[in-house]
Amino acid sequence: MKKILLVEDEKALSLLYEEELEREGYEVVVAYDAESALEQIRKEKFDLIITDIRMPGRDGIELIASIMGLRKDIPIIINTAYQSYKDDFMTWAADAYLIKSSSLDELKNKIKELLEKSSS
Amino acid sequence: MIKRFGLQPLSFSLESSKEMVLLSIIAQSFFQPFSLDDNLLVILTALTSGSGVGFNRALLFLKEGERLQARMWLGPRSPEEAQAIWSMLSTPGLGYAEIVEHNRELVERMMETLKPKLKLLSYNLDAPEVKIPALAAKNQEIILVEEARKEPLVDDNFRDFVEVDSFLCLPLVAKNEIMGEIVVDNGITHAPITNKDIELASLCALLAGNYVYTTHLYKKVLEMEKMAALGEMAAFISHQLRNPIVTIGGFTSQLLHRPCDQEKCQRNLAIILQETKHLEDIIFKISHFLKITIKELRPIDVRPILQSIIERPDLKLKAENKRLILRQAEELPKILCDPVYFEEAIVNLLDNALDVTPEGGYVYIRAFPQNRKWLRLTIKDSGLGLDEKMREKIFTPFFSTKENGTGLGLLFVKRVMEMCAGKIEVQSKPGHGTLFKLYFKVSEEKVKP
Repeated sequence: MKKILLVEDEKALSLLYEEELEREGYEVVVAYDAESALEQIRKEKFDLIITDIRMPGRDGIELIASIMGLRKDIPIIINTAYQSYKDDFMTWAADAYLIKSSSLDELKNKIKELLEKSSS
Repeated sequence: MIKRFGLQPLSFSLESSKEMVLLSIIAQSFFQPFSLDDNLLVILTALTSGSGVGFNRALLFLKEGERLQARMWLGPRSPEEAQAIWSMLSTPGLGYAEIVEHNRELVERMMETLKPKLKLLSYNLDAPEVKIPALAAKNQEIILVEEARKEPLVDDNFRDFVEVDSFLCLPLVAKNEIMGEIVVDNGITHAPITNKDIELASLCALLAGNYVYTTHLYKKVLEMEKMAALGEMAAFISHQLRNPIVTIGGFTSQLLHRPCDQEKCQRNLAIILQETKHLEDIIFKISHFLKITIKELRPIDVRPILQSIIERPDLKLKAENKRLILRQAEELPKILCDPVYFEEAIVNLLDNALDVTPEGGYVYIRAFPQNRKWLRLTIKDSGLGLDEKMREKIFTPFFSTKENGTGLGLLFVKRVMEMCAGKIEVQSKPGHGTLFKLYFKVSEEKVKP
């Protein structure tokens, strides 16, 4: 089973993503901030990471930079409400930049696509 | 021994030369707030006042699109009126401010009848044949017209309007762009226009051109700032609303498309309701935030307000198992602010301070006079403190470290401080708590003992 790390500080929203992605057949680990996300990454192996950008404490961009330092091979999806971070070149390090939407189809498709690419 | 002088001379000594007085009048206008009409009136005043260049009348054109449009005319309409004005203006010791004030009234009075006539004085600068006076602006050159009756280049309408044979056209130019034109004449005294008059007048025209240019720029900057702020606001609001909307949409779609047991249905509905409340809260705060306008600053006595703030039940509840301590000087001067916004700003800061302070921790609020001009109010928490990065971000809209924070609280405080002409500073280090320093302007009014 593919394992996904979801970094999202909004509790209700992370519950939604967790349920929906588990339904798709993934194992989902939720981290509510960048610190605990990094802790998880050091501990376990993930097949994909989904992260928000604006979070209390260190933001998603800093998180991506730290992940790149740890291991470069995990695909990263930025899932945020902000369009404007697209201009931040650090976000280019991510494999996809998605704007949060109440339809999760785009996110689900992107996950499938990236996981297929990385396993082939 | 030292002597002190004001930045702006209030009156001119009689020995000052005409040029000196003129430059002084114009220089003083730089101290005035930006108002295109007022600043142009200063130039027209300099051109026409007896102590300035001393023309009888001045007519101002501004460039509007591709047209040169007459906007303002300063000067007496008859020898009698002229006599009255000039005797008034030659009062010894009369300063620039009085002259401008006088002229403003004169222009306002004249404009009523003049407006329709001025409206007709409008020239297309792109026309194949441009007549005087517009020709001076178009060619960016000063034109002196003598014997206007016989000069075919002079526009007939204009000749009929000024009813004068000799006049001087001064183009207003800045950065090679036409800004407008001023036409001066001696229609009352019929004194000849000398070379020295032209030199002085051209100096005035140079300054006037720059005035118009600066005002245009200033307006543009204000407009851009407004647009930028609006754009930022829109981006932030849409982000702020997006999270709850996505949550509501996602859980609703689960309810709609998938069978769920009673318990899960209930849970989803509870989440939807909670997020709806969150949306309401955001909308309320944003509209409240946008509404802040302090129309009038009032002297307020902070002592009783601070006392009542720390007794507020909502704060008391938050301060349970923590210590909220108020220390203030026995006597405090009144400050300039709005009492309601003052209280809200302080409550906001205390609310934050109590949120980050652990159980058993202290929150101090202190109010002491800093000096005769400023009152210093500080709020110190014993929370985790902020690193440099966070410190930079705390006043950005919607930045919040609280799970359900809107990120508008500190911005609100900052806005209130700006509107009270005060200052806010923040000192913080990780592990050492955060200290907010607020400086309020002291009101002249003394607190009654």
